[in-house]
Amino acid sequence: MEFVNESQEKIKSDLLTVNMGPQHPATHGVLRVEIKTDSEIVSEAIPHIGYLHRCMEKHSENLDYRGVIPFTDRMDYLAAMSMEWGYSLAVEKMLGTEVPERAEYLRVIIGELQRIASHLLFYGVYAIDLGAFSPFLYAFQDREEILRLFEEISGARLLYNYIWIGGVWNDVDDDQLRRISKFCDKMEENMKKYHSLVGMNKIFRERTANVGVVNEKMAYQYGATGAVLRGSGVKWDLRKDRTYGIYDKFDFDVPVGTGEMGTLGDCWDRYDVRVREVFESIKIIRQALEGIEAGPIMGKVSKIIKPPKGEIYMRTECPRGELGYHLVSDGKAKPYRLKVKSSCFTHVSMLGELGKGQMIADFVATIGSIDIVLGEVDR
Amino acid sequence: MSSEVVDFLNREVSAAGAKLMEVEAGDAPVVVEAAAIKDVCFALRDSSELSFEALQVISGVDYDESIEVNYMLASFSKNKEVIIKVILPKDSKDAVPEIESVCDVWKAADFQERETYDMLGVKFNNHPDLRRILCPDDWEGYPLRKDYEVQDTYLDMEVNPAHKINQGDFDFMTKAKLDSSEPKKITGSWKGHVSTEVADALKRKMDSLKSAKSE
Amino acid sequence: MSAQKEITFATDDELTFGKWLNNIWVGLSTVLKGMGITFKYIYNVKPVTIEYPEVREELPANSRSRLFNDAENCISCYQCATACPVDCIYITAKRREMDAPALKTSDGTAIKLDLLQYTIDTALCCYCGLCTTVCPTECLTHTTDYEFAQYTLDEMKYDYLATDIRAWRERIVK
Repeated sequence: MEFVNESQEKIKSDLLTVNMGPQHPATHGVLRVEIKTDSEIVSEAIPHIGYLHRCMEKHSENLDYRGVIPFTDRMDYLAAMSMEWGYSLAVEKMLGTEVPERAEYLRVIIGELQRIASHLLFYGVYAIDLGAFSPFLYAFQDREEILRLFEEISGARLLYNYIWIGGVWNDVDDDQLRRISKFCDKMEENMKKYHSLVGMNKIFRERTANVGVVNEKMAYQYGATGAVLRGSGVKWDLRKDRTYGIYDKFDFDVPVGTGEMGTLGDCWDRYDVRVREVFESIKIIRQALEGIEAGPIMGKVSKIIKPPKGEIYMRTECPRGELGYHLVSDGKAKPYRLKVKSSCFTHVSMLGELGKGQMIADFVATIGSIDIVLGEVDR
Repeated sequence: MSSEVVDFLNREVSAAGAKLMEVEAGDAPVVVEAAAIKDVCFALRDSSELSFEALQVISGVDYDESIEVNYMLASFSKNKEVIIKVILPKDSKDAVPEIESVCDVWKAADFQERETYDMLGVKFNNHPDLRRILCPDDWEGYPLRKDYEVQDTYLDMEVNPAHKINQGDFDFMTKAKLDSSEPKKITGSWKGHVSTEVADALKRKMDSLKSAKSE
Repeated sequence: MSAQKEITFATDDELTFGKWLNNIWVGLSTVLKGMGITFKYIYNVKPVTIEYPEVREELPANSRSRLFNDAENCISCYQCATACPVDCIYITAKRREMDAPALKTSDGTAIKLDLLQYTIDTALCCYCGLCTTVCPTECLTHTTDYEFAQYTLDEMKYDYLATDIRAWRERIVK
């Protein structure tokens, strides 16, 4: 590029290549974005991934169907329950297994709690990305309560291995259910407070409104799902539109972006969708707590799981978007192929187009708003 | 759902040759001709009755004589999904089958095709930037092929060095059999990965025991 | 800069005096609201962290932490090793002699094999709990011990036939 300086001399400038990551705190893990900057403006952004690649798909080809579940946990380690749930549903659908009523209710309760925990983490970390520190501590205080509950129920804090093929591993007692109900009341209050602390804040609004706009067409082109798609104003939620489990029994809304603070599909909309989803999750948990009844928690599954020959593509709605499992079975005790469609992987591919023409600080806000977990991107 | 797509494709795209694949369980994929994949995708995206707006994922599956590439398509407005399957014949073990890229149809195909190229070695023609994505650029082989063997060294580093894996524990059963007078009574949970000299020594011992018995 | 989008800043809109005042008002009011929430946390807030080495947290009873195998009740069925997704359990056993005295586990199952090796590499273990659920005599359990940092990798390998690890039995098995 050529400029003219004060004394009317021509000066030439070049693009500067900056590597953001893989150890950059704002990239949420080991994502490296090769940025070609023109002073403060990003003229090209190339995402490089694979730093956390463990080839879980190859591992699962050498494991029995039950042994894959701990590996699915380690993809999106912030929403491990949702990962297990999707896989279990895929295998159950292949086998034609009936899941007992209580197990279905428990799955819904746990899955929605996991969604709250994951969105709380997004809320805290996004605030940190944009320079606010204390919301992170508030969010973690509440998230800690969920994790403690999960530890009592499943035995682990982060990587649960709780939802098994045919049901769930461990039962929840009445005392724990009462605690969940109490937590919901508290969480509803707190989330309103947190939203007014961050979401309504003028500085936060200035940083996120009109930044990183994903319009409807772009969302379709890149196959965006979850909060990114809903933030662009598309009312699409698998829980409602392609019901799985017992989600058809519950009454809840699907929050979509409104473009209230700027353009439809900007970072603020994506933030807003996630915050409103927390309230919807609380609504679902309350209904599930009313409907849950005593009963068995494990369906009839043979000791060695051998689904019939065939293939299936099972989609579920995870906190970060749609998770799909493409399971190919050859009738043996191990999966022939297990392909994971990760929403974060799709969303990372948007970064190149989103980053073009942004300021570097806005690019950080954009990466934060699409809420990626690198464990799921690289698998 | 899938049969509707088959009818549509056979009507709209002459070279598609779409047919439904029979499966015992799960979803029935629609098999189309490899040469027509781009036309098929354009037709499915732009038709008003099906309107598959989004490509969800491209998933490759390796078989002995072919590699299957599956395109999972989803329609948000019509609430539909379908698996489009392409079967690419594979002549030899190291052959890299080729297929037309669908990046022009959906931008989502960019990363998905790169991943399929990286993991299964399917070359997508006319892809804007076909590089490895998850593995390093200088990695050898395609990990998700069934006959894949990991390379011995990478950048002068030994892959799976003996002192990093529990070689002593792998050898324990074989060594116990060597020391025992009745090796057949010893069993173990671990098979394979035994060091060659220990395994050879056990083989010699078993042979000598057998011959002693026959005498 | 050829293929670049036009960058628009929010401030590029025409800034009238009314808008300017409104901006200041919104900025001040929202920041003050946030500060109000923050100030509420100054008093009457219970600490949420514990001072770790002095105060130790008790984990819930079914917490999945360090593995312990009670070798006296183990019947060497290899089910745990088969179920293990990361293959970190190594077992070798020898069939008992016919004339040897009969052994039984605490729940009455006959022991037909003598353990020669029962090693778990906890550095590889992923604490998924699949091995403990398949154990027929419930001799392999997850304990609630969580402090087991070591200086070398080899020390993470637990030989459950060694005397020092067998000595945990008094504390763990009730």
